[in-house]
Amino acid sequence: MNPSDLIPATEAIPAPSGIFIALGLITFTLHILIINTILGGGLITLFSRLRSPDQENSDHFYYPAVNKIPTMFALGVNLGVAPLLFIQVIYGHLFYTSSILMASFWIMIIPLLIIAYYGAYIHARKYFPAPFLSKSAILITILIVLYIGFIFVNNLSLMVQPEKWTIYFDNRSGIILNLSDITLMPRYLHFITASLAVGGLFLSLIWTIRQKKEVNGAAERVKSGLKIFGYATLVQIGIGLWYLLTIPRDFMLQFMGGNIFYTIIFLIGFLTPIGAVFTAFKNKFRPTLIMFFVTIVCMGFIRYFLKIMYLDDHFSPDGLTIQPQYGVMALFFIIFIAGLFSIAYMVKIALSANRRRAV
Amino acid sequence: MNYPVWELTSIGGGSLIALIAVLHVYIAHLAVGGGLFIWLTDRKAFKDNNPALHDYIKKHTWFFLLLTMVFGGMTGVGIWFIIALVNPAGTSMLIHNFVWGWAIEWVFFGGEIAALLVYHYQFERLTEPERNRVSFLYFLFAWLSLFVINGILAFMLTPGKWLETQNFWHGFFNPTFFSSLAFRSFMCMIIAGLFAFVTTVRIKDSIFRKTMMRYTAKWLIYTMPGLILSAIWYFYSIPQDIRNTAFNINPQSALFINIFILTTILIFIGGIVFSLRIEERWQKIITAVMILVGLLWMGGFEYSREIARKPFIISHYMYTTGIKPADAENLNHAGILKTAKWSAIREITEENKLQAGKELFNLQCLSCHTVNGIRNDIIPRTKDLTYLGLIAQLTGQGRVLKYMPPFIGTEKEKKALAHYILEELQQKPVSDKESEINLPILEDTISEFNPAKSDYVLLCWSDLGMHCISDAEKWFTILPPANTMEAQLIKRGPVPELVSENIELTYEIEDGFKNPAQHVDFWKYSEMTFGRKIPYNKGLTGNGLNGVFEFDENRNSFKAEAIPVVPYSDAGIFNPYPLFTIKALNKGTGELLAKANVVAPASTKMGCLNCHEGNWRFKNRAGMADETAINILKIHDRINNTELYKSAADGKPQLCQDCHEDPALNTEGKPDVLNFSAAMHGWHANYLPYDDARSCILCHPANPIGITRCNRGLHNSLRLVCTDCHGTMQEHSLSLLKGQVEKPASAALMANLTTTNVNSTDDVEPRTPWIKEPDCLTCHQDFEKPAENSNAFNIWNDEFEELYRIRTDNAEIRCPACHGSTHALYPAKNPYGKQRDNLQPIQYSGQPFPIGSNNTCEVCHKTKMQDAIHHENMEHAFRNPQTAP
Repeated sequence: MNPSDLIPATEAIPAPSGIFIALGLITFTLHILIINTILGGGLITLFSRLRSPDQENSDHFYYPAVNKIPTMFALGVNLGVAPLLFIQVIYGHLFYTSSILMASFWIMIIPLLIIAYYGAYIHARKYFPAPFLSKSAILITILIVLYIGFIFVNNLSLMVQPEKWTIYFDNRSGIILNLSDITLMPRYLHFITASLAVGGLFLSLIWTIRQKKEVNGAAERVKSGLKIFGYATLVQIGIGLWYLLTIPRDFMLQFMGGNIFYTIIFLIGFLTPIGAVFTAFKNKFRPTLIMFFVTIVCMGFIRYFLKIMYLDDHFSPDGLTIQPQYGVMALFFIIFIAGLFSIAYMVKIALSANRRRAV
Repeated sequence: MNYPVWELTSIGGGSLIALIAVLHVYIAHLAVGGGLFIWLTDRKAFKDNNPALHDYIKKHTWFFLLLTMVFGGMTGVGIWFIIALVNPAGTSMLIHNFVWGWAIEWVFFGGEIAALLVYHYQFERLTEPERNRVSFLYFLFAWLSLFVINGILAFMLTPGKWLETQNFWHGFFNPTFFSSLAFRSFMCMIIAGLFAFVTTVRIKDSIFRKTMMRYTAKWLIYTMPGLILSAIWYFYSIPQDIRNTAFNINPQSALFINIFILTTILIFIGGIVFSLRIEERWQKIITAVMILVGLLWMGGFEYSREIARKPFIISHYMYTTGIKPADAENLNHAGILKTAKWSAIREITEENKLQAGKELFNLQCLSCHTVNGIRNDIIPRTKDLTYLGLIAQLTGQGRVLKYMPPFIGTEKEKKALAHYILEELQQKPVSDKESEINLPILEDTISEFNPAKSDYVLLCWSDLGMHCISDAEKWFTILPPANTMEAQLIKRGPVPELVSENIELTYEIEDGFKNPAQHVDFWKYSEMTFGRKIPYNKGLTGNGLNGVFEFDENRNSFKAEAIPVVPYSDAGIFNPYPLFTIKALNKGTGELLAKANVVAPASTKMGCLNCHEGNWRFKNRAGMADETAINILKIHDRINNTELYKSAADGKPQLCQDCHEDPALNTEGKPDVLNFSAAMHGWHANYLPYDDARSCILCHPANPIGITRCNRGLHNSLRLVCTDCHGTMQEHSLSLLKGQVEKPASAALMANLTTTNVNSTDDVEPRTPWIKEPDCLTCHQDFEKPAENSNAFNIWNDEFEELYRIRTDNAEIRCPACHGSTHALYPAKNPYGKQRDNLQPIQYSGQPFPIGSNNTCEVCHKTKMQDAIHHENMEHAFRNPQTAP
C-alpha cells in the first residue's frame, strides 16, 4: 500500500495558510514555555523537597513555583487550545490520522490531565498541612506531564511520517506509538531538559522581581535559578546535537548550508544558548533572558522547517484551497484585541491591589 | 472514508463522547450560570453590607473555580480530543468552517480564566466596585463562550440556509440559534442554583443557612417559567421533518425526553423543598441527589438533541458515518472499499468477504454501534435477522426510519457486510429456508359425467387461487383458516339454464382434513382474535368441513363461506390442496343430480422467516414458528410503539386487522392506521432487496421450488410473473398507499419508492385491496390475445362486479366457473397431482382447458353451437394447448 494513498483529503481553509501557521507558532511557543515552567518548576520543587525534607518553609528558593503551578495550568491549557485549533486547520487531516493510530494513549491524556491539575492544587494547598500528600501529588502531576509530553512527541512525529502509518493494518485498537523513530528520544529529552532550564529561569525571574522589592536573600536565589538554567542548557545543547544527528541526513544538510535561511536561523539558535550559558553562569539575568527568548524563537522556526521537510513528499500548506472568511477573521482580531485589553485591565487592578496591600 | 477507524468495538467511541460531553456540558453550563450567581450575589453582599454573604461568596468561588476551571475546562478540551478520534470528518468540517468562531471562543475562554483567577486570588484585595466589575467580566466572557458554542452546536442540528450558501453567518445564526441560546441560558441559571446548594448547605450558622437556602432555591423556581417557555420555543424552532424523525419515528428519543421532563419536574420540586424548613442532614442528602438529578437532566437534554440530529452529524450535510449525502450516489456506484482511504480490502472476493464486511462495518456502523458493548449494541439488534433479513435491513435503512443513515456502497458490499454481521458477529451460517422439495404426486379424483345422459353440469371453484393462513395464533392472526367455495349448477340442454330452485348443494372435504383444530390454534384463541368462541372445526361463519352451500341471489351462485381448511392432514402430511367433493341434490327427493371435485387451496407457507429468523413450524416445511412470530411482534412494537408482544405473551394475541382495516376480513381498523395490504406492502417494499417477482415469493407461497407453488395457472405456464399484472413490488405498494393518502404513514412509506412501468408516483392509480385489482381485459382487449409485452398494472376495475372472481359472462356464468380460480386458471399445473386443479374440465370435456373451450359447447348445450354468446372471440381452438399438464 502506498502511504501517500492513506493521507486524507484536505478541506478548504478560510484564510491564507500563513496566518494560521503564524498564529499556531506564536501560541504554541507561549504554551510550551508555560508547560516547561510547570514541569521544570515541579521537578525542581520535588527534588529540593526530597533532598531536604526537614526544611518545609515558604522561604525556599523554589517556593514561589508552588503556588504558581496551578495558575500556570490554567494558562497553559488555554494557550494550548489555540495551537491545537490552528494545527487542525492546516494539518488536521494528518493530525487526526496519527491521533487515531494512538487513540487509546491519546484520550488518556484528558483524565490524566484533570488528575495532574488537581494534583498541582493539592500540592500547593497541602504543602504545609500534609507534606507527604503534597509531595505525592506533585510527583503524580510531574509523571502525568511527562506522559502527556511523550504522547505529544509521538503524535506530532508520527503525523509527519505517513510512511509509517501502514502499521495500522496490524493493529487498529489505537495503541500505535512512534517508538521506532530514532529522533523520538532526543526530541522528548529536548523537551524535558528545556523544562528544567525554563524552570530555573522562571525562578530566577521571580527572585529578580523580589530582589527589586529588596526581599532578603533574593540575589542568592536568582543565582541558583540561573545555575540550574545554565547546567540544563549545557545538557540541552548536547541533546540538541544528538537530535540533529538523528534527523534524516538531507534534512540536516539543509541546516548546514543547504538552505541559507534555515542555516542562519539554526546558527543563531545554536549560538544564543551557548551565550546564555555563559551569561547564566556569570549571574546576569537580563542578557540570559534575552538570549533565551531568541533561542526559543529560533527553535520554533526550526521545528516548523523540520515539519516542512518531513512532509515535503506528501503535503504542502500552499496547496490548500482558500475560501476566505475575512469578515469573521477581522472580527476575531478585534475581539482578540478587546480581550487582551480587558485582561490587561484585570491584571492591572490585580497588581495595584497587591501594591495597595504591600503599602 | 478519509480516516482510519479506531476499533473501540465494545466501549464504543460514541459512549466516550457521551460520557465526556455530558459531564463537560453540565459543568460548562455551571460556569456560565455560576458567573451570574457570583456577580449578583457578591453585589448583594456589598449592597446589603452583609459580611456573612461576603464570606459565603468567597468560599463558593473557590469551589466553583476548582470545578469549572479544572474539571470543566479539561473536559472541554476532552470533547475536542474524543470527537476528532471518533468522527474526524465531522470534526474537520466544524474546524475548517468555524475556525474563526472557535478562535473567538478561545479569546472568551482566556478572558474567563483571567477574570476568575483575578477574582479569586484578589478577592480581599480588590475594592468592591473593582471586584464587581471583574465578576461581571467573568460572567460576560462565560456567556459569550456559550453564545459562540451554542451557534455551532445549533448549526449541527439546523444548518438552515448554510446548506445553500455555506456562509459562516448563515450557519452561525441558524434557525435554532436564539431559541437554544435562551433555553441554555435558563439551564445555566438553574444549574448555578443546584451547585450553589453544595456550598449553602455547608454554612455553619443555621439562620444564615436558612436565608441562603431560600435565596438559592429562587434560582431553581423563578427560572422555571423561562425555561419552559424557551424549551417550547426551541422545540418548535426545529424544522418539522427533523422533529418528526427524532421524536415520532426514533424510539430512542422517548426515554431521554422522559428523563428530561421528569428531572425538570424534580428540580422544580427540589427548589420548593429547599425553601421549606428541613433538617440539615436532609438538606445535605437532597443536595447530593439534586446534583445527580441535574446531571441526568443535562444528559436527557443533550441526548435528546444528539438523537434529534440522527442520522446526521451535521444535519442534511454529513451522516454520522462521516459520509456526505451528496456523495452517496457516486459511492453507491464506485463502492466504499475502493474509495475509503483506510480499507485493507479494495476488491471483494469469496475468500476475503468477511474481512471486507468488517471494513464496511468499521466505516458505516462503528460510529454509532458497539459490539457487545453498552451503547447501541449491534448483537441484540441483529440477532433475529437472517442473511436476507440483514440485506433487507441494509436496503431499507434510512428510508422510512430516517434516524439511521442509508447503507452506502455497492450491492456486493452490502452482501459482504451482511455476511460479516451474520457469520462473524452472530456466528450463524447463511441458511436457505426454501430448499427444493420433492412433493408427493397424488391421484386425481374425477367424478363421473356422461355427456349423453347427464342432465347437469356442476361447476365449482375456490374464490381465491390461494388462501394463506398465518398459523401463529398464539402470537397474532393475520389470516384465519377460511376458504370460500362457490358453485353454479347448469341444467344441460340446447338452451342451458342456471338452476337453484329446489336444489341442495353439499360439500365435504377429503378424509384426513376434517379436524383442523387438531393442527392449528385458531380455535384456542378465537375469543381474543375474533371476539367470540368459535366451535371447534367450524369456521367464522359457522361452516364446517362438510356442509351445505347457501344460494347467493346477488351472485347467482351457491356459496360456502369461510370453511376452515388447513393444509395439515391427520396423517401428518402437508397438502395445501385438499380436495372437496361437491354434490348437487334434489332437495325434495334427495336424488344426486351432479357431483364434482375441486381443491380448496390453503397454505401456511408465509415466508416471514426468510428475514425474521426462525424455522418452519410443521416438520420444517411450513407454518410459522414462535421465534418468527415473536420477532415480528417485537419489531412492530419497537417501530409503532405498540405492546403486541406483551399482550400476546399475556395470552391475548390480536388480529392484525383489528387495527389495520381489511376488506378481505371486512374489518374497519383504526382510523389513522393504514389498511392491512398497504401497511404490509408499503413497509416491506422499502426493505426488500428486489423489486421484481422475487420479492413477491419471499412472502407469498409462490416459490416455484417451494412446497405450495400457488402460482400454477395458465399464465404461469406462459412465463408471466406476478409483476406482469400487479406491477413491481414498489409500484404495487404505491398503488395501495395512494389509496390511503389520508393516513399519516402513507407519505413516509411512499417517499422512497420508485416506479418501473409508469413514469412516476404521480402516475400510479390508487386502489383499494381486494376491491380494485388488475383487470383481465386490460391485456385481453375484447377477449383477444394480448399484445406482446402487455402489462396489466395500473388499470384497475371500476366496479366491484368487474373483478374476475365476481364478473359473469353474458349468460350469468361466473368467470372462474369456466376458467378456474385466479392464479390457477385452466389449464393449471398443480404440484400435488397432474390434473388436481383441472378436475372439472377433465370431468366434463376430457381436456384440461377452460370449460367449453375448443368448441366443446356440448358440455352444457348438448350440441355444437354457432355463436359465441358467452363472450366475444371464444369460437376458436384453445390458443395454448402446449400448456396442458
